[in-house]
Amino acid sequence: MYSEKKLSYYITTSKTLECKKFEKKIRIAILSSFTLNGLIETLKVKCAEQQVNCTGFVSGYNQYNQDILNKNSDLYHFSPELSFLILDTRTILGNLFYSTYSLTTSQRKEFVENKVNELLDLARVFVKTSQAKLIISNFVIPTYSPFGIFENKTEFGIREMTESLNMKLANKIMNEPSIYLYDFNGFITRYGEKNTFDYRQYFYGDIKIAFNYIPFLAHDLIGYIKPVLGLNRKCIVIDLDNTLWGGVVGEDGFDGIKIGDDSIGRAYVEFQKRLLALHERGIILAINSKNNFDDAIKVLNEHPNMILREEHFACLKINWNDKVSNMKEIANELNIGLDSMVFFDDDPVNREFIKTNVPQVLTVDLPNDPSDFADVLIMMNDFNVLQITDEDKKRGKMYLQQRKRTELEKSSSNIEEFLKQLNVEVKIKQADEFTIPRISQLTLKTNQFNLTTQRYQEEEIRKFINDPNKIVGCAQVVDKFGDNGITGVFIVNKDNSSEWTLDTFLLSCRVMGRGVEDGMLNHIITKAKNEGVKKLIGRFISTKKNKPAENFLPNFGFNKEGNFWTYSIEKPTKEIPYLTLSVE
Amino acid sequence: MSQKLYEIISRVMNIQISDISDKSGAESIETWDSMNTYILLDEIESEYKIKFSLEEIENIKTVKDFKKYLQNHGVDFND
Repeated sequence: MYSEKKLSYYITTSKTLECKKFEKKIRIAILSSFTLNGLIETLKVKCAEQQVNCTGFVSGYNQYNQDILNKNSDLYHFSPELSFLILDTRTILGNLFYSTYSLTTSQRKEFVENKVNELLDLARVFVKTSQAKLIISNFVIPTYSPFGIFENKTEFGIREMTESLNMKLANKIMNEPSIYLYDFNGFITRYGEKNTFDYRQYFYGDIKIAFNYIPFLAHDLIGYIKPVLGLNRKCIVIDLDNTLWGGVVGEDGFDGIKIGDDSIGRAYVEFQKRLLALHERGIILAINSKNNFDDAIKVLNEHPNMILREEHFACLKINWNDKVSNMKEIANELNIGLDSMVFFDDDPVNREFIKTNVPQVLTVDLPNDPSDFADVLIMMNDFNVLQITDEDKKRGKMYLQQRKRTELEKSSSNIEEFLKQLNVEVKIKQADEFTIPRISQLTLKTNQFNLTTQRYQEEEIRKFINDPNKIVGCAQVVDKFGDNGITGVFIVNKDNSSEWTLDTFLLSCRVMGRGVEDGMLNHIITKAKNEGVKKLIGRFISTKKNKPAENFLPNFGFNKEGNFWTYSIEKPTKEIPYLTLSVE
Repeated sequence: MSQKLYEIISRVMNIQISDISDKSGAESIETWDSMNTYILLDEIESEYKIKFSLEEIENIKTVKDFKKYLQNHGVDFND
């Protein structure tokens, strides 16, 4: 079971953080309709655990309305990057919380409609004034009704009122780019109303979340902070024996391991189902196990009760090498940072070995009892992202295809041979509502093949599309093993009738070196030529990570002019063998 | 038994155990404000698995009071 430290631990520890300086920083505001003492202190300590300096602002007791509406309030002077607005059902319903049926059904419906609009207006004012992201909590659905069991036969009763409030709020927030919903009702359901609400604390301090549950609430909220700071994890690396199944396949044999048939086996099945679900939404899975490859792969491919199969893993390190080397190789082969990885292993010695040698990897302290494995996994707040794109959902499959590409590359005698067989097809697309989230995502996270490393939020991309002096496009890459999805982005500024500038030109590293970048640039040049442009100007802005893009412009045929690289449009475009380019 | 109580007070009030006596309370300890008192109550309750009534909470001002009410709830301080 997920457990937490005492609130006093966080409060005391938060006082010792002043002297700690970390590179990453975040400014958080908490706005609430009730007392949430200790929450900001807990968030600060949890941020420090992630090497993040957190500066906090807590709005005065029930002052959130005034603080948001007054543009000169301390809230805006603080200039938060992320704000939590946490409201409770009692406050929002007022006396209706007790005497729900003092209003008629239609009055109750109107009440809900008004409240949703009020809240949404408030939220919009806040994000517009602060330019910060806002996380607004939904409402806890009351479990008590004066109508008792007849509540369920009452039209728009207190429960339905709150549900409707939540649903309307969620639906409206769905299209608000900077506003997110926190499932506060889910929090209370998870821990129980009877545990999280203490009447005495409510009476003496208007405390609506009991002190010992504040750290659990903070744990949930950190789940929003991590993706904002890019601290979310992308890959789960997992051991096999006694982690993915019970027993040791090398000793107990194919028929002897526990998976599915008894209570212990069912615990592993549950764990695997949870892992599969994460895989389906874009978390990469990999294996790091000391085992005979043939024994282990037979279980993965043939055991009737296994949920996870070989095809679900992007990388299989099943050998007798040390786990640290395996871990580094996985990071290398998948081209992801060690700081994007999470490691599950039942053996504390292996865990310690990884923790000591590759501390960037998040090593999970797996409990001894496998019945807790699934809970440990689903309680992790490390896999959250604020946006899930189609590419994310396909990622697992993409890595499998990537494994097959690498195998082809190894078996091909040279790169030409490899590309010839790969049949790369580049489809150039104009940015539109469907591609905006992915385009923004690529500008935010592409570090290696990125000429200028300009970071753009979705709202900015949307503005660019409507600007006649900008071209925003992207490239979808398909080959014989499958669809790589949208993996390239370019943004061109039409400076004037004879010169265009590459504002952004980037490529996801997994399609690098296959001519895709040349194809994209050819497309831009052809387009420029058609519009009578004479010169294309590029820049390379060097960062710690974008070395792979350093020589791209000169290699393509750009000439140096001061700090820029220029290409005369009259020159023919680059010949790219074995690549099909199409424009949609 | 008082050792455990002192440890909790020390943690919540952020003071040394040696600075705690029966007389300790809001008047002698700077960090002993109302919010810390509530947190202290909460952590003492969960440690000793008891629940104080609102009236008891109103009356608890010092460490001595804590001991008295904990004894009423069956906690033994004969040490």
